[in-house]
Amino acid sequence: MTTGGPPTPPSPPSPPSPFLTVAAAAAAAAPAPAPGGEDVLLDVRDVWQKLGGNQILEGVTLQVKDRVRPGLVTGQVVALLGPSGVGKTRLIRLISGLDRPDRGNICGVRACALPAGSVGVVFQSYPLLRHHTVLGNMMVAGIANGLPREEAKTKAEMLLKRFGLDQRADFFPAKISGGQRQRVAIAQQLMRQKQLLLMDEPFSGLDPAALDDVIKLLIEVAHMDELNTIVVVTHDIRSALIASDTVFMLGRERAADGRVTSGARIKHQYDLVAKGLAWRPGIEREPEFRELETEVKEHFRSL
Amino acid sequence: MSAAAPAPAPAPTGAPASPAAASAEPGRLARIFLPNRAVDRATAIGLVALWTAAAFIVWLVSPWESLPGPGEVWRAFGALWWEGGMGPEMFTTLKLITHALFLTIVISMALSYLTVVAFFRPLVSAVSKLRFLGLTGLVFPFTLLTGGGYALKVSMLTFGMTTFFVTAMAEVVMSIPREQFDHMRVLGAGEVRIFWEVVVRGTLDRALDITRQNLAIGWAMITMVEGISRAEGGIGALILNQNKHFHLAEVYAVLIAILVVGLLLDYLMGLVVRVLCPYVSLDLVAR
Repeated sequence: MTTGGPPTPPSPPSPPSPFLTVAAAAAAAAPAPAPGGEDVLLDVRDVWQKLGGNQILEGVTLQVKDRVRPGLVTGQVVALLGPSGVGKTRLIRLISGLDRPDRGNICGVRACALPAGSVGVVFQSYPLLRHHTVLGNMMVAGIANGLPREEAKTKAEMLLKRFGLDQRADFFPAKISGGQRQRVAIAQQLMRQKQLLLMDEPFSGLDPAALDDVIKLLIEVAHMDELNTIVVVTHDIRSALIASDTVFMLGRERAADGRVTSGARIKHQYDLVAKGLAWRPGIEREPEFRELETEVKEHFRSL
Repeated sequence: MSAAAPAPAPAPTGAPASPAAASAEPGRLARIFLPNRAVDRATAIGLVALWTAAAFIVWLVSPWESLPGPGEVWRAFGALWWEGGMGPEMFTTLKLITHALFLTIVISMALSYLTVVAFFRPLVSAVSKLRFLGLTGLVFPFTLLTGGGYALKVSMLTFGMTTFFVTAMAEVVMSIPREQFDHMRVLGAGEVRIFWEVVVRGTLDRALDITRQNLAIGWAMITMVEGISRAEGGIGALILNQNKHFHLAEVYAVLIAILVVGLLLDYLMGLVVRVLCPYVSLDLVAR
């Protein structure tokens, strides 16, 4: 992708998603991948943002391009790493259209200035409407996106089954676990086909088994459609490297005494596909992975 | 992924985790005197019964002459109920509080929901501040405005409750986390749907709870308001008449009736909350 993998022939048409009725139509409407798989799916160009007099983001620039594998539907999982308070969540708000940057552009596949609602966001606390059941929350997401009530219900039930939540459909959010809330929050975003899904700290507070499940889920959701892109905002380096095919590191410049002297920008970028460290189960056991993890940790300390 | 997580097994309530834990765990009797301990339902009911019995015994053996005995109060209650018109007076009072509460809910909810629009916030804030005015000084202007009688009592009661209701409800609306709005926006919901789901339905349980508190406030104000204009009667007028003639047993009988009906209304409101918002009790369990 961004740093360029080996040239690849155009990918064949994606098979229709087994559980997203809108997905096929949306994919058909999307521009076909150019030879070499160089379609830009997300383009953040020189974004600046000030908050309370502090320059939070200072010229953030990153591109997510379509990954193409012949014969395989390949979405993108991009990790945005950075220490707490660096401006990761701020950047999520800008990309999702909830806020506007002071300067710069954020463009998707079809348009620039992505409006709120066109990009899926799974917030860190997985906010669900507490007065609706799990099924009710799913239906609210469908109806909000213009689906008729019956269609929303059918699709919600299908997604809940797919995510292993059908037994929890009639439960109120207060009665389900944190992991189940997370899955509901992700499933809600799939009620309408959105090719860009932003996830704020999806790995925080999870036990190792739940962490594996979440990583598998992210990869599965990403690969549901060729143009799907999941941007994971996290400071969990290991999980980010396992899940993603590209890593961006957001950081600030510092003076010799450690004082922050600038807003955040992309300071490092890793193409894990080019390094042969993506799309392989059990990659974390490879020596190359551990070397990369060490390197990323070293960089992280200076962010 | 996405295999269904097994349903959490219900924790055995009250069962000790191990013999060592059992020996460290204080007994039922000890628990009721230790701070920060939960007690089971039977113990809680037993404690209520114990305190009620203790209060009744204190009343029975009370040396104060100004406190009539239970038998005396019971006889006064019977006389007031069968001959003194307490039933119709209570009905009049209930009609008044229901009317005032209805108006309070309509006005207060409208004002509170308007806080989502910046233009109206100063107005809502001003209404909230009026709670410091007190009712006594307002009798004269309200009499001129309403012409007195029933309309005066309804308006006084509505005014009194509205200022407190708006204060509490506006605070609830203003303290809805921004994340709730953002969540609905990223789902693609329009502002009207967001308002309905997050502001109206999302705060319904708290709105009902505030209604419950304001019903209690209104009920506590009722004797004073009914005393302003006694022409239509009511339980407030009844107690003031008994006060005037120094009928102590009758006064206590009316007071107990007011307390019991107030508690009944409170219980009914609690029932409404549990029926309309079943998720509230789940939140409490989760905590």
